[in-house]
Amino acid sequence: MKQLIEISKELLESRKAGYIIGYTEDKFHRTKPFIAHTTNDAEKLTFNQKAVHNLAVYLTRLPKPKEGKIGIVAKGCDIKAIIGLIQENQIKRDDIIIIGMNCNGVVKDINIDYNKENSQMKCSICELRTPKHANYIVGALEDFAKSELTKNILAEFEALSAEERWKFWEKEFEKCIKCYACRQACPLCYCEQCIVEKSMPQWIDSSPTTKGNFAWNIIRAFHLSGRCIGCNECERACPVNIPLSLLNRKMGMVAMKEFNYRHGIEPDQPTLIGNYNTSDKEDFIM
Amino acid sequence: MKNFVITREQLANLASKLLGENWTVISPSQNGSKYLKIKDAKDLIIDSALKPTDISMKEHFFPKSETLFFFKRKKDDYELIDAPGSEAKTVIFGAKPCDASAIPVLSKVFNWDYKDEFFNKRVENTVIIGLACKFEDENCFCTSVGLSPLAENGSDIFLIPLSDDKYFMKPITDKGRDFIAANETFISEADNISEPINDFSTPQKRFSTENVKEWLDKNFESKFWFNAGETCIGCAQCAYVCPTCHCFDIVDEDCYSCGRRVKNWDSCQFELFTKHASGHNPREIQGKRYRQRVSHKFKYYKDRFDELLCTGCGRCTRGCPVSIDIGLILEDINSHFLETINVNN
Repeated sequence: MKQLIEISKELLESRKAGYIIGYTEDKFHRTKPFIAHTTNDAEKLTFNQKAVHNLAVYLTRLPKPKEGKIGIVAKGCDIKAIIGLIQENQIKRDDIIIIGMNCNGVVKDINIDYNKENSQMKCSICELRTPKHANYIVGALEDFAKSELTKNILAEFEALSAEERWKFWEKEFEKCIKCYACRQACPLCYCEQCIVEKSMPQWIDSSPTTKGNFAWNIIRAFHLSGRCIGCNECERACPVNIPLSLLNRKMGMVAMKEFNYRHGIEPDQPTLIGNYNTSDKEDFIM
Repeated sequence: MKNFVITREQLANLASKLLGENWTVISPSQNGSKYLKIKDAKDLIIDSALKPTDISMKEHFFPKSETLFFFKRKKDDYELIDAPGSEAKTVIFGAKPCDASAIPVLSKVFNWDYKDEFFNKRVENTVIIGLACKFEDENCFCTSVGLSPLAENGSDIFLIPLSDDKYFMKPITDKGRDFIAANETFISEADNISEPINDFSTPQKRFSTENVKEWLDKNFESKFWFNAGETCIGCAQCAYVCPTCHCFDIVDEDCYSCGRRVKNWDSCQFELFTKHASGHNPREIQGKRYRQRVSHKFKYYKDRFDELLCTGCGRCTRGCPVSIDIGLILEDINSHFLETINVNN
């Protein structure tokens, strides 16, 4: 990762970047998010197949640097979140420096080394191994073992009856403990006041009961319709393993099918919800 | 004091009998997610080498959501209706020492200025059968917080494996002794067997909680917190999976003419936790919220109750989406403390 470190040191030394959001490895060889403020910090930066976290989440959560831009290390898929934030006017392209990483797949379970079984589904169908829209491209592309797309879980799920699907989600949401880790890990969940925090009126029951859990998880899926970029961080963060990506993928497919729209591809493309097109379908309006 | 022996088969038979007598029987779940109410003794998991479940055992004493009472609107008044308390006799099989030991720690705060009758009733109705632990990973640090794989704190009965299918059974409390007496047909006396403690390695101590406490006493404003909490994304999974985190929120819910007052888990890691009505937030950045989490566990609870609010189970680290390791943070604090001593000398 010499190249990554050199670039980062140069950016920090020249004060072009105030800090760099990247990854480091701790003494137990865990790869984790890390903010490099100094050239000494930059020496600790790394990138590998355990660099699974979508660091774009920090762009709206960290205070702006006093001087310079925000540097960020990003995989091709993470850049979709960055572009999504630019499309939604949360950040300006000129305020960030993207160090794009050529990516050879990332793990599903961060505690286990990369292998065919322990790889993210999104990596099997990745079209962005070399990132777009980056200021730098670092690292080399290598062949990697991809997980086999043996079954289309979403298609299987859609084949179920409405009653069966209801039962499925009832069982899954029963597990929800309302820790909101899904929201916090999501780079596109940046509202200063989340709807669950509004109490006058209380739109959503704060109790982790069937009613409150359905309301929360479904409203989050709705709020991410046409916005989710499929990084899967919500599902990875969920301590009770609810398959949240099923909901988000379904909504993403609807956006694609009905409006031919995918979020986070081009910074100057208007967003799906924030744009009106005379050719938009109206058949869903009564 | 008498000790006993029980076989794996007899443990299952015992669970079966209790299920037949309408006891609530709880055991770690097959998929390792939580301590689960089982309906069939074949689902009983007794395994020393088991990884701690994703979520701790606390939900069986302090549920994620608990109705305190119902209220109904009358003409000029409200009618209050008691929530049905949990009266079910409960037994938990195979509690990890790092889970069982949390219960007496929690009892202190739930019986401090106000006695939480819901929590106390559950504790009173539950027999905890602890099981010596043979699991260890880099996230565990029970020995650093004064516990061990053989810690009996919180257990009413403690099991130590003698072989794959035989357990040394040690009564710890009167409740445990009564439970054994009531179920003696499943249990034999261990006249010439001594406690098999030699099979247990003791994980190395990673830091001194005295040092940590002394550093915390003096470093509320330290810059350390801003680095430690910098990558925390403020999800509260650490608090929600923790066996000792006990903050809750009280809300009124449901319709206009009837409703309920309910107590739900909450966490100091949320921005909203300390946000005032004015909009001011005394813990406006995540670093300050992270400082609160560590300080509550290793300073404030110690000051008030002379207990540590941490059992070293490692769940918060295992589940953290950004791999923040409280063990490493405490090691860092320990070394900062030692540095200050060296400087002063």
